[in-house]
Parts: sequence; C-alpha cells; structure tokens
Amino acid sequence: MHVNKTSRRSRATGALAVTAAAALVLSACGGGDNGGDNGEAAEGVEGGGTVSAYNCEPQFLVPANSTEVCGSWVLGSLFTGLTQTDFDTYEPTAGVAESWDTEDNVTWTFTLGEDWTFHDGEAITAQTFVDTYNWAVDPDNAQQSANFFDNFLGYQEVVDGDAEEMEGVRALDEYTLEIELTEPFSPLPDMLTYTAFYPMPAVAYEDIEAFEQAPVGNGRYQMDGEWERDQQIAVNRYEDWAGENPGLPERIEWRIYSDVDTAYLDVQAGNLDILDAAPANRRTTVEADFGENAQDFDTSSFTYLGFPLYQEEFQDVDVRHALSMAIDRELIIDNIFDGAQTPAENIIPPDLIEGNENTCEFCQYDPEAAAELYEEAGGPDELTVYFNSGASHEDWVEAVANQWRDNLGIEDITFESLEFAQYLGLHDEQEITGPYRLGWTLSYPSAQYAMEPIYTTGVSSNYADYSSEEFDDLIGQANAETDPDAAAELYTDAEAILLEDMPVIPMWFTNFQVVHSDRIDGESIFMDQATFTRLEQVVVTEE
Amino acid sequence: MTRYIIRRLLQFIPVILISTLIVYALVFAIPGDPIRALAGDRPMSDAVRETLREQYNLDDPFLIQYFKYIWGIVTALDFGSTFNGRPVTDIIQQRLPVTATLALVTLVIQTLMGIIAGILAALYRDRFFDRFVQVSTVAMVALPTLVIGFLLQLIFGLNLGWFPIAGVNNGVSSYILPALTMAAVSTGILARLVRSELLDSLKSDYVRTATAKGMKRSRVITRHGLRNSLIPAVTFIGADLASMLGGSIIVETIFNLPGLGQQVFASIQGQEGTVVVGIVTLFVLFFVVINLIVDLLYGLLDPRIRYE
Repeated sequence: MHVNKTSRRSRATGALAVTAAAALVLSACGGGDNGGDNGEAAEGVEGGGTVSAYNCEPQFLVPANSTEVCGSWVLGSLFTGLTQTDFDTYEPTAGVAESWDTEDNVTWTFTLGEDWTFHDGEAITAQTFVDTYNWAVDPDNAQQSANFFDNFLGYQEVVDGDAEEMEGVRALDEYTLEIELTEPFSPLPDMLTYTAFYPMPAVAYEDIEAFEQAPVGNGRYQMDGEWERDQQIAVNRYEDWAGENPGLPERIEWRIYSDVDTAYLDVQAGNLDILDAAPANRRTTVEADFGENAQDFDTSSFTYLGFPLYQEEFQDVDVRHALSMAIDRELIIDNIFDGAQTPAENIIPPDLIEGNENTCEFCQYDPEAAAELYEEAGGPDELTVYFNSGASHEDWVEAVANQWRDNLGIEDITFESLEFAQYLGLHDEQEITGPYRLGWTLSYPSAQYAMEPIYTTGVSSNYADYSSEEFDDLIGQANAETDPDAAAELYTDAEAILLEDMPVIPMWFTNFQVVHSDRIDGESIFMDQATFTRLEQVVVTEE
Repeated sequence: MTRYIIRRLLQFIPVILISTLIVYALVFAIPGDPIRALAGDRPMSDAVRETLREQYNLDDPFLIQYFKYIWGIVTALDFGSTFNGRPVTDIIQQRLPVTATLALVTLVIQTLMGIIAGILAALYRDRFFDRFVQVSTVAMVALPTLVIGFLLQLIFGLNLGWFPIAGVNNGVSSYILPALTMAAVSTGILARLVRSELLDSLKSDYVRTATAKGMKRSRVITRHGLRNSLIPAVTFIGADLASMLGGSIIVETIFNLPGLGQQVFASIQGQEGTVVVGIVTLFVLFFVVINLIVDLLYGLLDPRIRYE
C-alpha cells in the first residue's frame, strides 16, 4: 500500500463515517439481515453471484513481494494471515491463529486453528509460517517487504548471511507458533494482518514463478485459472475456508484497466460492477451519473508537506507553525478537490482506536497570526516547493504557494516537480531545499505504523530528518506497553509532540468514492482504512 | 531487383544497432533509481535493493550495461525482462497480436474510407458531397485523438451500446472504436490527398486521350486516373502504418487494449530500459520493412520506376 506514487486512486465527496459503514458491514456478514428489502439480498448469509471490479495491473503476486495496492488487494482475498482486521473496531482478530498471548510484548505465542488448509489441500501448521517467514527474509529471494520482519530476532543474521533461519520464529508444536522480537512491540498482532505475513504453501518454493501465475493460498477465494496479464484475475469462493465469515460472492473478477476513465464508463454502461476510486475529473458528475450508486469512504491515506530539517531556515519551529497556519485547507479542498478530502488535524488517522479528533493547534487557519509569527521568526523570503510529477499534485501545491505568497508575503516561490524515482533520490541525498509533498497509507491499522516509520530518529523513511528523544521514548514505551488503553494514550502523547514540533504539515486524509452498478447492493460496499474495498462482503442483488 | 532487396536488408543492421543504442541511452539518462521507485514511498531494505540492482546490471556504467544487453541477445536470445521478472519476449508475444490487429483494422478503415471519399469528392467536384468531405476531413484532422476517442466511447459505447467501451474480450468489435479513433486523422489526410491527385490526373493528357478513344468512363478513371494518383497515397499509407505504433500508445491506453503501445508507456515510466528497447526496436524494424515494401510497390504502380 504505501502511498500512491501515481495516485492510482483519487477520492470522493462528503464524509460518511467509517463507523457507519462498518456497522453495515457487520450486519452484511454477520447474518441474514443486511437491511436490504429485496429477496435476493435478504439471503445474504449464503451470498452468491459474481462481482467484477476495476483493478490496476499488479506488480507482483507473491505476498512478501507485493508493496502496491493492485497486487495486495488480490492477495488479500487469496490469503489469510495469522490475524485479520476487524473492520468494525480496527482491532486484530483471529485468522489462522485462534488466539495469542504475550507477557512482555517480546515473546509471543500464537495458537493456530487445526483445520486450515491451502487451496491445494496442504495442511497449515506452525511450521508453514516458520518456512514462509524465513523464505521471505532470505536475501536471495529479494522480497521487497523483507524489512517488515526487521524486529524479528535473527532477522539481521539472515540478511547478513550469517544464519539460514531466523532464531525468533519457532514451531513449538504442530499448532503453536512462537515469535520472539528484538524489542517489545505491542502492535505485532496488527502488523501480522499485513500482506507480507501471509503463509505460503510448499509448492511455492518449488517454482516461485509458476506460483505467481496462479498463487495457491489459504484465503476466502482461490484462483480460477491463471493471472491473465493486463486483462483479468478471477477467483472462486474456497468452500473449505476455515474462518468465521466466508466471502459472500461466489466469484470475484478483477478486470485490469490501464485507464480509470474507461472503467468509469464501463460501470456506467453496466459492464463492470465496482470502481473503487472514481477519477478526480469525474468528481462533479458522479452524482448525476450514479445517484445512489456511489459511496464515500474516509481512509488513512495521508498527504503532508514535510520540511527538510537539515536545512537551516526550517529549523525554527515558529517558521514551520507560521507556514502551516497560513494554509486554508478547507478553501483548497473545496476549490480544487470539490470538497472531497478530510482536512488533517492529526497524524494518526482519526478512525483508528488510537485516533483523536482535532488535536492540531497549528493546523487552524489564522493568516494574521501566521504573518506576525513568520515576520518575527525571520522566515525565508524565497521558497522552493517539491512534489512528484504526473500524480495531479500541481494544482493544490500551487494553491498552497499562493496562500503563502498572499498571507506571509513570500514573493519568490518556485516549484520543483520530479519523476518519483528521481524525487526519492533527492530525498536520500538530502538535497531538498524546501517544503515537499509526500504521503503515507497505513499497511496495517496501528498508530505505531502512522508514526514510527516516518518520524523516529534515523529510520529510512524519515525524510524530514526529524529527531526528538522524547518522541522516540514515547513510541518505545507505547510499543512496550501491554495494556492497550495505556498504549493508546502513549501514542496520543507522541502524536502531540509531532503536532507541536511539526516536522510535517498535515494536509488531509483522502476520501475515496466507490461507484457501482445496479447489480450490487450499495449498502454492502465498504472500503477499509488501507483503501481496499472489501469485495468479500459485497452483496449481489441480481445475476 | 533481388540485389536491390538484399542491399536494403543489409542496411537494416546498422539502423537497428544505432537505434537500440540511442533508445538505451535515453532510458539510461532518466534520473533516479527505478528499483527505489518500485516500492513506493516506503523504502525497501538495502539488501533487497542491492540484489535487484545487481540482477538488472543497474550498477554498471552505460556502455557495459548496453554491451551486456546486446551480448545476452546474441548469445542466448535473452532480450531481458521487466523489473517484475517477465521476459520481454513473453510480453511481445502476448501484446503484439493486439497491436497488430489494431493496426490492421485501422489500415482497412482508413484506406477504404479515405480512398472512396477522395474519389467521390473528385468525381463530384464542388457538389454537396465534395463540400461535405472537405469540411468533415478538416474536423477529423483537427480534433485531438483523445477527444475523438472519448466521443466515440460516449456515443457508440455508452449511449448506443453498439460496441464495447474497452477491453479485447469481444473479438473484432472490440477494435472498431479504437481503430476509428486511430484512423481519423489519416482518413482525413488520405481523402484530401486522393481527391487532389485524382483531379490532377483527370485533367492530364493521357486521360483525355483515353476518353477520346471512346473508353468507358469507369475504366478511364480506374485504369488511368486512379492508378497514377495512387503513388502518393501508397507512400502516405506506408509511412502512416509504420508510425501507427506511436499512435497506439494513446489509443491503447484509452480503450484499455493490452498492446505494445500501452507497455512502452508504462515501461518508460518505470525506467525498464530493456523493455523499451525491445519494443522500440521492433517498431523500428517494422518501419524499415514497411518502407521497403512501399518502395517496391512503386514499381508495380509506375512501370517507369526500376530498381538497381
């Protein structure tokens, strides 16, 4: 997931609360009552029918190698990890593991269910996970998500070639898995919901390329045929799935499009059931085109303007506050996004358990105070603003620059727009000289993941070069805290430091607009925080 | 004639070598690390990045990279692969039929429509049909491909439902709208070209002679007028066919056709040098072959042309 390098998805209007949508989801998968008055929908327990959905072409279909939305979406239906996310509360719930236990957040014991099998019939045991995890971190396999395992005991030894297997992953008996970490990490059950931690069957290691053509998983759905490159991926419901709430549709077909506008027309014409991200340029016509067949969802997809703190002129916190307070987010959202972003006044997405509402003092628009502060602090009178090209960031970045010009009197503002690869290169070399756009989407729903990978001292995604001992300590304490409520409080304290120190200006969380055909019960559609529409919960009302 | 063809074929070798070198250099010159961009905002571990960079020879200087690429082709017919491990040959095999079908349908549409409209306009000069062709062809040439594509999708795909909006799952009918889009500009140019050429040759001495001898009008037009006015048209169609692969980039993207044009665009963005070079080289080869065929066709149309 992680952030749109080419914003594959744009977003939508309004702010339908996720909680409301989640409640619908619960009823849709919990029992027969899904609120629909139509006969077919009322039989939603069994579900049925075929759902077709827009998708982009995946890069990879090997779990530990998938870092983008297109592939991870498909893999999410083909695989079930040790834990899954309960989309009502965003807490981890049973997956292959029925329960788990830890005393110190370092050593974790997972008790696995005994009737889990892969689609080819292979039984899943604790050893399955030991093998998969060791394979995923083996440098010879060059799996892009290998570093998700970096707090597993023995990870570094395997990466350095000093060990074949990670010491910290052990099968105690057939159905008991023990994971030992290098330091306490309370969000482990959350993290294990992520794509990189799905189990792989023995056949995968024999020929990984053949496996990728038609992944054999343990999820709600199994491949029907092969991955038809650039055209389609079709899956059928796996009737032996051992989990609590099997998928409703009998079949899901992902149709792969190169152009999202084309997919939009296809949904309009009834050739395609679901497009999970109506394109930005259609925003104003969605209501006329789809009426009730469009739903809005808040997500964790976070856009920010960061400061290169390694440049002297941004080291004064007053300069950063002034620049933030001089931005009228609402105005930009209304004019450029037609109202379809939620202004961010936080770092942790507000819908998470640890999330909070309106916590950012310096995100309030106050041009007078901003101008005064900027003047006093002696902020720079010329700025260069950086963003990656080809992802529709031009308009809003320019709008921000105009507000800075008008409100702070910064006369000379230039723009540097670069291809994504080159853009990241400049960050790595610390050659950015002004505010820069970047984004972050949560791979797993945890306040830890919203902060630790980007703002802790010295981590590789800390492009701002931010460093605060107090913040690092709080994150460490929260990760070590065994009581979830106390941990949530510590994460909130850490967030408060970020909002005060402001290494980045929070801009907004992206809303997505899902449009669908008449064949689908709109109330059954739900997009989660990681921007995945939960196709397994979709109710098909007519064949 | 045979010697001429052999000499032309031998000329292909330096053309191909130089074009691969240039294209490879252009992709190489795109700044930034493509492996870095592969994982998005979240960086991958250094170990993984190094393994991948080594696998794709990205740490070598330009000429060494290029040499390894050519060496792979010469010794093992290895045309390289994408960053997600798909061989370029697989991709071409999968995508070439789509682009070829698109080009073929486009060619048929533009040739038929362009030549017929041109002939009728010339024969009914200054009458309503002629005026209609003159005006409509200006519009076809002037409207951007994107606009034509979306209009066709909206009218014939969405509102009338005659043709699929996108994809290749409906046989030849999948290709009609994309081909019409791609043919629009060339049909316009071709119609105007044929019209003016035919008008010229109908005024010429040999046509007047043929008419004076009492030959049937239809035979005068086809055997004498048309045949002589087709040389520029054939040149144009040839050049157009060769450059069609360029147009396919836009059209394949709008209509979601999984062809070569779509792939070139994606691979340039992803800095997959070997993929871009592989496909572009194929385009170049196609271009020179078409040019050769066009040159040979001249001889058939105009017996005065001889090949040395």
